[in-house]
Amino acid sequence: MTGLANFYREKEAYLLGIGFIVFLLALWQCVPLLITLPRGYALFFTTPSRIAATFYRLLVEGQIQEHFYVSVAAFLSGLGIAIAVGLPFGIVMGRSRTLDALSDPYVTALNATPRLVWLPLFILWFGIGIWSKVMIVFVGAVFPLLINTYAGVKNVDRVLVNVVRSFGANEWQVMKVVVLPNSLPYIIVGLRLAIGRAILGVVVGEFFGSSKGLGFMIASAASNYKVDVVFAGVAIFMGLSLILTLSVKKLENSLARWRPETAKTF
Amino acid sequence: MVPCIQARDISLTFKPKNRDSVTALKELTLDVAKGEFVSLVGPSGCGKSTFLNVLLGLLKPDGGEIRLNGKQITGPGQERAMVFQEFGLLPWRTVLANVELGLELKGVQALVRRERAMELIKMAGLAGFASHYPHELSGGMKQRVGLARALVTDPEVLLMDEPFAALDAQTRDLMQMELLQIWDRTKKTVVFVTHSIEEAAYLSDRVIVISARPGRAKDVMKIALPRPRDYEMRLSAEFNDIKARIWASLKEELVTK
Amino acid sequence: MGLKEEYHEYHRPILGMASVIGLILLWELTLTYLIPVDPFFFTKPSLIGTAFREQLFGERLWRDLAISSRAFIWGFSLSVIVGIPLGAVMGWRRRVEYTLDPLLTALYASPLVALAPLLIIFFGVGLLGKAVLVFLLAVFPFIFNTSAGVKAADPLLINVVRSFGGKELDLYLKVILPSTFPYIVAGARLAIGRGLVGIIVGEFYAASEGIGFAIQNYGDTYRLPDMFVGIIVLSAIAVALTELLRKAELMVAPWRAGEEIR
Repeated sequence: MTGLANFYREKEAYLLGIGFIVFLLALWQCVPLLITLPRGYALFFTTPSRIAATFYRLLVEGQIQEHFYVSVAAFLSGLGIAIAVGLPFGIVMGRSRTLDALSDPYVTALNATPRLVWLPLFILWFGIGIWSKVMIVFVGAVFPLLINTYAGVKNVDRVLVNVVRSFGANEWQVMKVVVLPNSLPYIIVGLRLAIGRAILGVVVGEFFGSSKGLGFMIASAASNYKVDVVFAGVAIFMGLSLILTLSVKKLENSLARWRPETAKTF
Repeated sequence: MVPCIQARDISLTFKPKNRDSVTALKELTLDVAKGEFVSLVGPSGCGKSTFLNVLLGLLKPDGGEIRLNGKQITGPGQERAMVFQEFGLLPWRTVLANVELGLELKGVQALVRRERAMELIKMAGLAGFASHYPHELSGGMKQRVGLARALVTDPEVLLMDEPFAALDAQTRDLMQMELLQIWDRTKKTVVFVTHSIEEAAYLSDRVIVISARPGRAKDVMKIALPRPRDYEMRLSAEFNDIKARIWASLKEELVTK
Repeated sequence: MGLKEEYHEYHRPILGMASVIGLILLWELTLTYLIPVDPFFFTKPSLIGTAFREQLFGERLWRDLAISSRAFIWGFSLSVIVGIPLGAVMGWRRRVEYTLDPLLTALYASPLVALAPLLIIFFGVGLLGKAVLVFLLAVFPFIFNTSAGVKAADPLLINVVRSFGGKELDLYLKVILPSTFPYIVAGARLAIGRGLVGIIVGEFYAASEGIGFAIQNYGDTYRLPDMFVGIIVLSAIAVALTELLRKAELMVAPWRAGEEIR
């Protein structure tokens, strides 16, 4: 008996958490067995088993793959461009006070505004092809990356810079040996946030003015009352988001090897 | 013979944004001979650390001349290395990588610099800790890394900015003795900044009292104690006299300004 | 202070303003004199200015703002009422946190906006659908931040209040809630951003009124200056709210408020 008790004590957090989710899913599954829904609501109702079945069917029929690839392509392209633009800009802004002051109003305003307001404009400019999605993903993801890189660069310990300078390092070496390693944790946090925003961008970008992609699949399914398909699509995005975010979190933790305090997620 | 370090009428004024300017050094003049161990003591804010940074080459004086072996100092150089009060170890690098830093920046090959770094790590009493990270080390150990790092490029001059101030009293005493041993072995010229009269008197050949801000060399006292110095010397009457003299000079700077 | 010192003191806002004014001028001059502009794809500041004046004195803009604000305020208030107590309980009782945390983290990481079409169709295109969407998006920062704030409460202070005979409610009100305050303000700042996304997406999707709808509608009808007015107005509101909360954070918070939690 003590074996079981010990097991519970160690894994309590996992058991409670996962158990709760399982419990909710089971409850959800059983709702139609417990009560009968009025006609209007029944249209919108589905159960986990039906969602899973629909998901399987879509997979087998090959319908999902094409949408999936389109969405992933937009996601990766937009995120890639965001990294390529956000990181250098963040570094430059962090090092140059003038540039920082010059770009500050734009960064503040653009960051506070929900990036999706630009979607109609992007659709106008780039059409309903993949480029408007790439742009909206880019615009969403670039700011966490830029801002966090900036914070990492600005936050560098003056003493360390002096130490490296005392060995006769030039600006480039200071950057390489002190500023960049110091900024890395911040950049990774920025990446984690950017991923969330990027997925958001893909989803909403594909809702409107699109003919392909998981977002489009979800939107058109919704208007056809195919609730199963909607949830299946949402589940895919959820899974993607979780996998990516957890991977980045793992990366964050491995980098934290040299830090006594890890809670820099503020 | 040209003294190793010559400072003539060094003046330096800081002009920070939004605040009044601060004259840290005013016509400071002093010499340090080759192989000598010199301490600078003075009240807080008197400019001793500033002067050290001028020697290091990270700060340029507004007036006066500063020379190393007859040549003007215009920037950091291999012949001078500093040990910092806050240790200044790169937290994301191991002890070994930290010690190698100076050689790495000079482009020395990996195998060569590793060997040299390991030598110094052993000399600093850190054998076996080469793969540790700074946050795993105690304060005393961190400063040993700082010392090893400063010595890796084999500089002629060692600049030490209150290196033991952040350590507890016992570790501090231990480090002082070890520093003397290392100095005796490597024969560097040392300029040592400290608040502690006792530390200055124990370690140095000469103690220079810096006046309150703006700093200038007020008094120079020769420490006529034999070398090698052991801990017991600190308990002697002679030692107390020396401390009293330094204190008498320093006290004036602390009270009035 | 001399002129040079004044510049140093205020150089950030000065350069900032100069940058914006410079861009506007450059934009206007380029599109007026250098490149002929296709009004279907581009517009320039003077045209935007005219449209702005028209809208300001018209009624449509104000009506749209009122409609969007109502939905936003409803959804946001609900997220405050639900999020803060839930977060507080999670922070206070470990077991509750263990139970709820994985679920909430998974939900937070998912693009709940993907449910927007379904929600709008189910609840209708009016106030309710948008408010629910705003609630779903804005509630999470409140939950997580409040929870973190509660966990950060100083155990010493808790013991002090206990030693004076304070009950659980006293602890909540006198120690935990005050220490949580900075975290809640930070959470509010994040929630506003997420809530605004909810309004925009909800109105893009299916609405006939509201600022989000207006922007999309102007876009569809190629009325670019009006569209930019909408974007700028929304942007100004978003910036104002966010900056207000940032100032509040700095006043209330001992530490510098910065990046997001989680």
